[in-house]
Amino acid sequence: MAEMIRKSSTDEIVNHLILAGSCILLMLTGFGFLFHVDAIGSVFGGFNTMKTVHNWLGIAFALSLLYSLHHYLIESLEYDADDVQWFKVAGGYLSHKVKVPPMGKYNPGQKLYYLAVVGFGFAIIISGIGLWFFQDNRTVMLLSHIIHNVSFVVFVIAVPVHMYLGTLANPGTLQIMVNGMMPLKDARKKHPKWIKAIGKM
Amino acid sequence: MANDTTKKRKAILVTPESCIGCRACQVACKSWNQLDPIKTKNNGTYQNPPDLAGTAFNIIQFSEVPSQIDPVRWLFLSRRCMHCDDAGCMTICPSPGALFRTPEGAVAFDHKKCIGCKLCSSACPFDVPRYGADGKMSKCNLCADRIAADMTPSCVKTCPTGALKFGDRDELISAAQKEGFKTIYGEKDLGGLGTIYAFKDEPKLYGMLENPTIPTSVVFWHTYLKPLSLIGLGGVVAAAAIHYLAIGPHKEEEKEEEV
Repeated sequence: MAEMIRKSSTDEIVNHLILAGSCILLMLTGFGFLFHVDAIGSVFGGFNTMKTVHNWLGIAFALSLLYSLHHYLIESLEYDADDVQWFKVAGGYLSHKVKVPPMGKYNPGQKLYYLAVVGFGFAIIISGIGLWFFQDNRTVMLLSHIIHNVSFVVFVIAVPVHMYLGTLANPGTLQIMVNGMMPLKDARKKHPKWIKAIGKM
Repeated sequence: MANDTTKKRKAILVTPESCIGCRACQVACKSWNQLDPIKTKNNGTYQNPPDLAGTAFNIIQFSEVPSQIDPVRWLFLSRRCMHCDDAGCMTICPSPGALFRTPEGAVAFDHKKCIGCKLCSSACPFDVPRYGADGKMSKCNLCADRIAADMTPSCVKTCPTGALKFGDRDELISAAQKEGFKTIYGEKDLGGLGTIYAFKDEPKLYGMLENPTIPTSVVFWHTYLKPLSLIGLGGVVAAAAIHYLAIGPHKEEEKEEEV
Protein backbone atom coordinates (compact mmCIF):
# COMPACT_ATOMS: atom_id res chain seq x y z
CA MET A 1 0.00 0.00 0.00
CA ALA A 2 1.11 3.45 -0.87
CA GLU A 3 2.59 5.59 1.85
CA MET A 4 -0.06 7.92 3.30
CA ILE A 5 0.21 11.30 4.93
CA ARG A 6 -2.22 12.90 7.34
CA LYS A 7 -3.74 16.10 5.95
CA SER A 8 -6.58 16.58 8.46
CA SER A 9 -6.54 15.77 12.15
CA THR A 10 -9.41 13.85 13.76
CA ASP A 11 -10.32 17.12 15.39
CA GLU A 12 -10.70 18.83 12.02
CA ILE A 13 -12.62 15.91 10.53
CA VAL A 14 -15.19 15.77 13.33
CA ASN A 15 -15.63 19.52 13.38
CA HIS A 16 -15.97 19.70 9.61
CA LEU A 17 -18.64 16.99 9.77
CA ILE A 18 -20.62 19.01 12.33
CA LEU A 19 -20.19 22.19 10.30
CA ALA A 20 -21.17 20.51 7.03
CA GLY A 21 -24.05 18.50 8.50
CA SER A 22 -25.59 21.46 10.32
CA CYS A 23 -25.06 23.69 7.28
CA ILE A 24 -26.82 21.32 4.90
CA LEU A 25 -29.75 20.77 7.28
CA LEU A 26 -29.99 24.53 7.90
CA MET A 27 -30.11 25.20 4.16
CA LEU A 28 -32.70 22.48 3.65
CA THR A 29 -34.98 23.77 6.42
CA GLY A 30 -34.29 27.31 5.17
CA PHE A 31 -35.63 26.35 1.75
CA GLY A 32 -38.61 24.83 3.54
CA PHE A 33 -39.41 28.16 5.21
CA LEU A 34 -38.62 30.26 2.15
CA PHE A 35 -40.81 28.35 -0.29
CA HIS A 36 -43.37 26.86 2.10
CA VAL A 37 -42.28 23.30 1.24
CA ASP A 38 -44.73 21.09 3.14
CA ALA A 39 -42.69 17.99 2.28
CA ILE A 40 -39.70 19.37 4.23
CA GLY A 41 -41.89 20.55 7.12
CA SER A 42 -43.47 17.11 7.38
CA VAL A 43 -40.07 15.48 7.93
CA PHE A 44 -39.86 17.43 11.18
CA GLY A 45 -43.50 16.92 12.11
CA GLY A 46 -44.53 20.42 11.12
CA PHE A 47 -43.10 23.90 10.81
CA ASN A 48 -43.21 24.56 14.55
CA THR A 49 -40.73 21.79 15.30
CA MET A 50 -38.76 22.65 12.19
CA LYS A 51 -38.25 26.17 13.56
CA THR A 52 -36.89 24.76 16.83
CA VAL A 53 -34.60 22.38 14.94
CA HIS A 54 -33.42 25.21 12.65
CA ASN A 55 -32.65 27.48 15.62
CA TRP A 56 -30.62 24.89 17.54
CA LEU A 57 -28.81 23.68 14.45
CA GLY A 58 -27.81 27.31 14.09
CA ILE A 59 -26.17 27.11 17.52
CA ALA A 60 -24.31 23.94 16.48
CA PHE A 61 -23.22 25.65 13.26
CA ALA A 62 -22.07 28.75 15.17
CA LEU A 63 -19.99 26.79 17.70
CA SER A 64 -18.50 24.65 14.98
CA LEU A 65 -17.61 27.68 12.85
CA LEU A 66 -15.98 29.36 15.86
CA TYR A 67 -13.99 26.21 16.59
CA SER A 68 -12.88 25.94 12.95
CA LEU A 69 -11.18 29.35 13.13
CA HIS A 70 -8.05 27.93 14.79
CA HIS A 71 -7.81 25.28 12.09
CA TYR A 72 -7.99 27.43 8.99
CA LEU A 73 -8.14 31.18 9.64
CA ILE A 74 -4.44 32.06 9.69
CA GLU A 75 -3.63 30.07 6.57
CA SER A 76 -6.66 31.45 4.75
CA LEU A 77 -5.33 34.97 5.23
CA GLU A 78 -1.91 34.29 3.66
CA TYR A 79 -1.45 34.65 -0.08
CA ASP A 80 1.72 34.62 -2.21
CA ALA A 81 2.72 35.06 -5.87
CA ASP A 82 1.83 31.43 -6.66
CA ASP A 83 -1.67 32.08 -5.37
CA VAL A 84 -2.03 35.01 -7.75
CA GLN A 85 -0.82 32.80 -10.60
CA TRP A 86 -3.32 30.14 -9.49
CA PHE A 87 -6.16 32.56 -10.17
CA LYS A 88 -4.70 33.41 -13.59
CA VAL A 89 -4.97 29.75 -14.63
CA ALA A 90 -8.31 29.37 -12.79
CA GLY A 91 -6.76 26.65 -10.66
CA GLY A 92 -6.44 24.44 -13.73
CA TYR A 93 -10.16 23.76 -13.62
CA LEU A 94 -10.98 25.28 -17.00
CA SER A 95 -8.26 23.45 -18.89
CA HIS A 96 -6.03 20.49 -18.10
CA LYS A 97 -3.27 21.88 -20.30
CA VAL A 98 -2.30 24.90 -18.20
CA LYS A 99 0.48 24.70 -15.66
CA VAL A 100 -0.87 25.08 -12.12
CA PRO A 101 1.67 26.75 -9.81
CA PRO A 102 2.91 24.80 -6.74
CA MET A 103 0.46 25.02 -3.84
CA GLY A 104 0.70 24.84 -0.08
CA LYS A 105 -1.75 22.88 2.04
CA TYR A 106 -4.70 24.81 0.62
CA ASN A 107 -5.17 26.60 -2.68
CA PRO A 108 -6.33 30.24 -2.72
CA GLY A 109 -9.80 29.16 -3.91
CA GLN A 110 -10.20 27.13 -0.75
CA LYS A 111 -8.81 29.95 1.36
CA LEU A 112 -11.20 32.50 -0.11
CA TYR A 113 -14.06 30.03 0.25
CA TYR A 114 -13.24 29.69 3.93
CA LEU A 115 -13.15 33.47 4.39
CA ALA A 116 -16.56 33.72 2.68
CA VAL A 117 -17.95 31.01 4.95
CA VAL A 118 -16.59 32.86 7.99
CA GLY A 119 -17.86 36.27 6.82
CA PHE A 120 -21.32 35.24 5.67
CA GLY A 121 -21.42 32.56 8.37
CA PHE A 122 -21.13 35.13 11.13
CA ALA A 123 -23.57 37.39 9.25
CA ILE A 124 -26.14 34.60 9.12
CA ILE A 125 -25.47 33.63 12.76
CA ILE A 126 -25.79 37.16 14.12
CA SER A 127 -28.88 37.91 12.04
CA GLY A 128 -30.30 34.55 13.14
CA ILE A 129 -29.83 35.62 16.76
CA GLY A 130 -31.60 38.87 15.85
CA LEU A 131 -34.57 36.97 14.43
CA TRP A 132 -34.65 34.60 17.38
CA PHE A 133 -34.24 36.95 20.32
CA PHE A 134 -35.17 40.47 19.18
CA GLN A 135 -38.66 39.76 17.89
CA ASP A 136 -40.14 42.92 19.36
CA ASN A 137 -37.69 45.25 17.66
CA ARG A 138 -38.95 45.97 14.16
CA THR A 139 -35.67 47.50 12.92
CA VAL A 140 -33.58 44.60 14.17
CA MET A 141 -36.06 42.10 12.71
CA LEU A 142 -36.18 43.64 9.24
CA LEU A 143 -32.42 44.15 9.11
CA SER A 144 -31.77 40.61 10.34
CA HIS A 145 -34.29 39.22 7.89
CA ILE A 146 -32.55 40.76 4.88
CA ILE A 147 -29.01 39.91 6.09
CA HIS A 148 -30.09 36.32 6.84
CA ASN A 149 -31.51 35.95 3.35
CA VAL A 150 -28.59 37.58 1.49
CA SER A 151 -26.20 35.26 3.36
CA PHE A 152 -28.47 32.33 2.56
CA VAL A 153 -28.16 33.05 -1.17
CA VAL A 154 -24.36 33.12 -0.84
CA PHE A 155 -24.39 29.78 1.01
CA VAL A 156 -26.67 27.96 -1.43
CA ILE A 157 -24.35 29.01 -4.24
CA ALA A 158 -20.97 28.55 -2.55
CA VAL A 159 -21.55 25.30 -0.66
CA PRO A 160 -22.56 23.15 -3.67
CA VAL A 161 -19.45 24.42 -5.52
CA HIS A 162 -17.31 23.37 -2.53
CA MET A 163 -19.06 19.97 -2.49
CA TYR A 164 -18.47 19.42 -6.21
CA LEU A 165 -14.81 20.42 -6.02
CA GLY A 166 -14.32 18.19 -2.98
CA THR A 167 -15.80 15.12 -4.62
CA LEU A 168 -16.37 14.63 -8.36
CA ALA A 169 -14.04 17.35 -9.62
CA ASN A 170 -11.06 16.08 -7.61
CA PRO A 171 -11.24 12.30 -7.25
CA GLY A 172 -9.73 11.10 -3.99
CA THR A 173 -10.44 14.30 -2.08
CA LEU A 174 -13.48 12.99 -0.24
CA GLN A 175 -11.25 10.51 1.56
CA ILE A 176 -9.48 13.39 3.34
CA MET A 177 -12.80 14.53 4.77
CA VAL A 178 -13.52 11.00 6.00
CA ASN A 179 -10.22 9.73 7.43
CA GLY A 180 -7.85 12.66 6.96
CA MET A 181 -5.29 10.72 4.93
CA MET A 182 -3.99 11.15 1.40
CA PRO A 183 -1.27 9.29 -0.54
CA LEU A 184 2.12 10.96 -0.04
CA LYS A 185 2.92 10.85 -3.75
CA ASP A 186 -0.31 12.74 -4.56
CA ALA A 187 0.44 15.26 -1.84
CA ARG A 188 3.92 15.86 -3.32
CA LYS A 189 2.27 16.80 -6.60
CA LYS A 190 -0.71 18.75 -5.33
CA HIS A 191 0.78 20.41 -2.25
CA PRO A 192 4.56 20.57 -2.87
CA LYS A 193 5.10 23.63 -0.68
CA TRP A 194 3.30 22.00 2.24
CA ILE A 195 5.24 18.74 1.89
CA LYS A 196 8.50 20.69 1.65
CA ALA A 197 7.60 22.65 4.77
CA ILE A 198 7.10 19.45 6.76
CA GLY A 199 10.28 17.93 5.29
CA LYS A 200 8.81 14.94 3.45
CA MET A 201 9.60 15.96 -0.10
CA MET B 1 -51.10 39.72 -4.29
CA ALA B 2 -54.23 39.91 -6.35
CA ASN B 3 -56.73 37.27 -5.43
CA ASP B 4 -59.62 35.91 -7.42
CA THR B 5 -62.12 36.84 -4.74
CA THR B 6 -61.98 40.54 -5.54
CA LYS B 7 -65.45 40.54 -7.08
CA LYS B 8 -67.25 39.42 -3.98
CA ARG B 9 -64.68 40.87 -1.66
CA LYS B 10 -66.19 41.94 1.64
CA ALA B 11 -65.05 44.86 3.72
CA ILE B 12 -65.75 46.88 6.84
CA LEU B 13 -66.43 50.53 6.17
CA VAL B 14 -65.57 52.76 9.11
CA THR B 15 -67.11 56.23 9.21
CA PRO B 16 -65.28 57.87 12.12
CA GLU B 17 -67.57 60.92 11.90
CA SER B 18 -70.51 58.76 13.04
CA CYS B 19 -68.59 57.05 15.84
CA ILE B 20 -69.61 58.06 19.36
CA GLY B 21 -66.76 56.21 21.06
CA CYS B 22 -69.01 53.85 23.00
CA ARG B 23 -66.64 50.93 22.48
CA ALA B 24 -69.45 48.43 22.12
CA CYS B 25 -67.43 47.06 19.17
CA GLN B 26 -64.54 46.28 21.52
CA VAL B 27 -66.85 44.42 23.88
CA ALA B 28 -68.63 42.53 21.09
CA CYS B 29 -65.28 41.46 19.63
CA LYS B 30 -64.08 40.17 23.00
CA SER B 31 -67.35 38.38 23.53
CA TRP B 32 -67.54 36.62 20.18
CA ASN B 33 -63.85 35.74 20.01
CA GLN B 34 -63.75 34.78 23.71
CA LEU B 35 -60.77 36.99 24.47
CA ASP B 36 -59.49 37.41 28.00
CA PRO B 37 -59.67 40.82 29.65
CA ILE B 38 -56.54 42.94 30.04
CA LYS B 39 -55.71 44.75 33.27
CA THR B 40 -54.94 48.36 32.38
CA LYS B 41 -54.22 51.61 34.19
CA ASN B 42 -55.91 54.95 33.80
CA ASN B 43 -53.43 56.99 31.83
CA GLY B 44 -55.54 60.08 31.36
CA THR B 45 -57.54 59.01 28.34
CA TYR B 46 -60.72 57.10 27.67
CA GLN B 47 -58.77 54.98 25.22
CA ASN B 48 -58.74 51.60 26.87
CA PRO B 49 -57.04 49.21 26.34
CA PRO B 50 -54.27 51.57 25.30
CA ASP B 51 -53.38 49.62 22.17
CA LEU B 52 -54.26 46.56 20.14
CA ALA B 53 -53.24 43.41 21.99
CA GLY B 54 -53.21 39.64 21.73
CA THR B 55 -56.67 39.71 23.31
CA ALA B 56 -57.83 43.04 21.85
CA PHE B 57 -58.43 42.73 18.11
CA ASN B 58 -60.03 46.14 17.77
CA ILE B 59 -59.82 49.39 19.70
CA ILE B 60 -61.18 52.87 19.48
CA GLN B 61 -58.34 55.33 19.26
CA PHE B 62 -59.24 58.57 21.04
CA SER B 63 -57.51 61.76 20.01
CA GLU B 64 -58.04 65.42 20.78
CA VAL B 65 -57.35 67.98 18.05
CA PRO B 66 -57.75 71.78 17.89
CA SER B 67 -61.08 73.05 16.61
CA GLN B 68 -62.25 76.44 15.37
CA ILE B 69 -65.76 76.11 16.82
CA ASP B 70 -65.22 74.29 20.10
CA PRO B 71 -62.30 74.42 22.51
CA VAL B 72 -61.33 70.96 21.29
CA ARG B 73 -62.47 68.20 18.94
CA TRP B 74 -62.59 64.66 20.19
CA LEU B 75 -61.99 62.08 17.47
CA PHE B 76 -62.79 58.39 17.58
CA LEU B 77 -61.11 55.97 15.22
CA SER B 78 -62.04 52.32 15.17
CA ARG B 79 -58.85 50.31 14.47
CA ARG B 80 -58.38 46.68 13.54
CA CYS B 81 -56.54 44.62 10.93
CA MET B 82 -56.78 46.31 7.53
CA HIS B 83 -57.00 43.01 5.59
CA CYS B 84 -54.74 44.36 2.84
CA ASP B 85 -55.00 42.80 -0.59
CA ASP B 86 -51.21 42.95 -0.82
CA ALA B 87 -50.57 41.85 2.75
CA GLY B 88 -47.00 42.19 4.07
CA CYS B 89 -47.71 39.68 6.83
CA MET B 90 -48.71 37.00 4.33
CA THR B 91 -45.71 37.77 2.12
CA ILE B 92 -43.15 37.35 4.89
CA CYS B 93 -44.76 34.48 6.86
CA PRO B 94 -42.51 31.38 6.64
CA SER B 95 -45.13 28.86 7.73
CA PRO B 96 -47.60 27.73 5.07
CA GLY B 97 -51.22 28.13 6.09
CA ALA B 98 -50.49 30.13 9.24
CA LEU B 99 -51.91 33.21 7.51
CA PHE B 100 -54.43 32.64 4.76
CA ARG B 101 -56.95 34.45 2.61
CA THR B 102 -60.60 33.65 3.19
CA PRO B 103 -62.96 33.49 0.19
CA GLU B 104 -64.34 36.86 1.32
CA GLY B 105 -60.88 38.42 1.06
CA ALA B 106 -60.02 38.61 4.76
CA VAL B 107 -56.56 37.78 6.13
CA ALA B 108 -57.20 35.03 8.66
CA PHE B 109 -54.80 32.93 10.74
CA ASP B 110 -54.40 29.38 11.96
CA HIS B 111 -53.05 29.25 15.51
CA LYS B 112 -51.72 25.72 15.13
CA LYS B 113 -49.63 26.57 12.10
CA CYS B 114 -48.17 29.82 13.47
CA ILE B 115 -44.54 29.25 14.52
CA GLY B 116 -44.36 32.44 16.59
CA CYS B 117 -41.47 34.00 14.65
CA LYS B 118 -43.15 37.44 14.73
CA LEU B 119 -41.94 38.39 11.27
CA CYS B 120 -45.52 39.37 10.35
CA SER B 121 -45.55 42.29 12.74
CA SER B 122 -42.29 43.60 11.21
CA ALA B 123 -43.81 43.51 7.73
CA CYS B 124 -47.18 45.03 8.64
CA PRO B 125 -47.45 48.70 7.62
CA PHE B 126 -50.21 49.24 10.21
CA ASP B 127 -48.56 47.61 13.24
CA VAL B 128 -51.49 45.22 13.68
CA PRO B 129 -50.30 41.69 14.54
CA ARG B 130 -50.11 40.97 18.25
CA TYR B 131 -49.21 37.82 20.14
CA GLY B 132 -50.99 35.78 22.76
CA ALA B 133 -49.48 34.32 25.91
CA ASP B 134 -48.49 31.28 23.83
CA GLY B 135 -46.34 33.52 21.62
CA LYS B 136 -48.60 32.94 18.63
CA MET B 137 -49.98 35.64 16.40
CA SER B 138 -53.52 36.82 16.92
CA LYS B 139 -55.47 39.60 15.29
CA CYS B 140 -58.84 40.45 13.75
CA ASN B 141 -59.85 37.90 11.12
CA LEU B 142 -62.95 39.83 10.03
CA CYS B 143 -64.96 37.27 12.04
CA ALA B 144 -64.24 34.75 9.28
CA ASP B 145 -66.44 32.20 11.03
CA ARG B 146 -69.41 34.59 11.18
CA ILE B 147 -69.15 35.92 7.63
CA ALA B 148 -68.80 32.39 6.27
CA ALA B 149 -72.26 31.81 7.81
CA ASP B 150 -73.69 34.98 6.25
CA MET B 151 -73.54 36.97 9.48
CA THR B 152 -71.82 40.31 9.93
CA PRO B 153 -68.66 40.65 12.04
CA SER B 154 -69.50 41.05 15.72
CA CYS B 155 -68.18 44.63 15.94
CA VAL B 156 -70.40 45.71 13.04
CA LYS B 157 -73.38 43.81 14.42
CA THR B 158 -73.26 45.74 17.67
CA CYS B 159 -72.41 49.22 16.39
CA PRO B 160 -75.36 51.44 17.33
CA THR B 161 -74.67 54.36 14.97
CA GLY B 162 -73.70 52.83 11.64
CA ALA B 163 -70.11 53.98 12.07
CA LEU B 164 -69.21 50.40 11.19
CA LYS B 165 -70.78 48.87 8.10
CA PHE B 166 -70.10 45.51 6.52
CA GLY B 167 -70.80 44.36 3.00
CA ASP B 168 -69.59 44.14 -0.57
CA ARG B 169 -66.46 46.25 -0.77
CA ASP B 170 -67.37 47.93 -4.04
CA GLU B 171 -70.88 48.77 -2.89
CA LEU B 172 -69.64 50.24 0.39
CA ILE B 173 -67.19 52.46 -1.47
CA SER B 174 -69.71 53.79 -3.99
CA ALA B 175 -72.31 54.37 -1.27
CA ALA B 176 -69.82 56.36 0.81
CA GLN B 177 -68.79 58.40 -2.21
CA LYS B 178 -72.45 59.21 -2.93
CA GLU B 179 -72.85 60.40 0.63
CA GLY B 180 -70.18 62.97 -0.10
CA PHE B 181 -67.13 61.58 1.65
CA LYS B 182 -64.06 63.09 -0.04
CA THR B 183 -61.57 60.48 1.00
CA ILE B 184 -62.12 56.74 1.00
CA TYR B 185 -59.02 55.63 2.86
CA GLY B 186 -57.75 52.27 1.62
CA GLU B 187 -59.58 52.26 -1.69
CA LYS B 188 -56.33 51.77 -3.59
CA ASP B 189 -53.60 51.40 -0.95
CA LEU B 190 -51.78 48.04 -0.92
CA GLY B 191 -54.02 46.65 -3.62
CA GLY B 192 -57.05 47.87 -1.72
CA LEU B 193 -57.72 47.43 1.98
CA GLY B 194 -60.43 45.29 3.52
CA THR B 195 -61.00 47.86 6.25
CA ILE B 196 -61.81 51.14 4.56
CA TYR B 197 -62.50 54.53 6.09
CA ALA B 198 -64.80 57.31 4.90
CA PHE B 199 -63.37 60.71 5.84
CA LYS B 200 -64.40 64.28 5.25
CA ASP B 201 -61.32 65.52 7.09
CA GLU B 202 -57.75 64.67 6.23
CA PRO B 203 -57.08 61.05 7.33
CA LYS B 204 -53.88 62.33 8.91
CA LEU B 205 -55.96 64.25 11.46
CA TYR B 206 -57.16 60.91 12.82
CA GLY B 207 -53.61 59.54 12.91
CA MET B 208 -53.90 57.46 9.75
CA LEU B 209 -50.73 56.56 7.83
CA GLU B 210 -50.42 58.72 4.73
CA ASN B 211 -48.89 56.26 2.29
CA PRO B 212 -48.92 52.79 3.79
CA THR B 213 -46.37 50.50 2.13
CA ILE B 214 -44.75 47.15 2.86
CA PRO B 215 -41.13 47.71 4.04
CA THR B 216 -38.77 48.03 1.05
CA SER B 217 -36.49 45.26 2.33
CA VAL B 218 -39.41 42.83 2.40
CA VAL B 219 -40.43 43.73 -1.16
CA PHE B 220 -36.79 43.39 -2.32
CA TRP B 221 -36.44 40.05 -0.59
CA HIS B 222 -39.67 38.73 -2.05
CA THR B 223 -39.04 40.01 -5.58
CA TYR B 224 -35.32 39.32 -6.02
CA LEU B 225 -33.68 37.31 -3.24
CA LYS B 226 -36.19 34.45 -3.14
CA PRO B 227 -35.93 33.69 -6.87
CA LEU B 228 -32.16 34.27 -6.75
CA SER B 229 -31.67 31.52 -4.17
CA LEU B 230 -33.33 28.99 -6.47
CA ILE B 231 -31.67 30.27 -9.65
CA GLY B 232 -28.31 30.34 -7.85
CA LEU B 233 -28.59 26.80 -6.58
CA GLY B 234 -29.87 25.50 -9.91
CA GLY B 235 -27.15 27.46 -11.72
CA VAL B 236 -24.23 26.02 -9.77
CA VAL B 237 -25.57 22.48 -9.99
CA ALA B 238 -25.94 22.88 -13.76
CA ALA B 239 -22.50 24.51 -14.03
CA ALA B 240 -20.94 21.63 -12.08
CA ALA B 241 -22.60 19.06 -14.34
CA ILE B 242 -21.45 20.91 -17.47
CA HIS B 243 -17.92 21.23 -16.07
CA TYR B 244 -17.78 17.54 -15.27
CA LEU B 245 -18.91 16.56 -18.75
CA ALA B 246 -17.12 19.21 -20.83
CA ILE B 247 -13.80 19.57 -19.00
CA GLY B 248 -13.81 16.66 -16.62
CA PRO B 249 -12.26 16.05 -13.21
CA HIS B 250 -8.71 16.83 -12.22
CA LYS B 251 -6.24 14.33 -13.68
CA GLU B 252 -2.95 13.35 -12.15
CA GLU B 253 -0.02 14.41 -14.29
CA GLU B 254 1.64 11.01 -13.91
CA LYS B 255 -0.98 9.48 -16.18
CA GLU B 256 0.29 11.69 -18.98
CA GLU B 257 3.82 10.53 -18.19
CA GLU B 258 2.72 6.93 -18.40
CA VAL B 259 1.27 7.39 -21.89
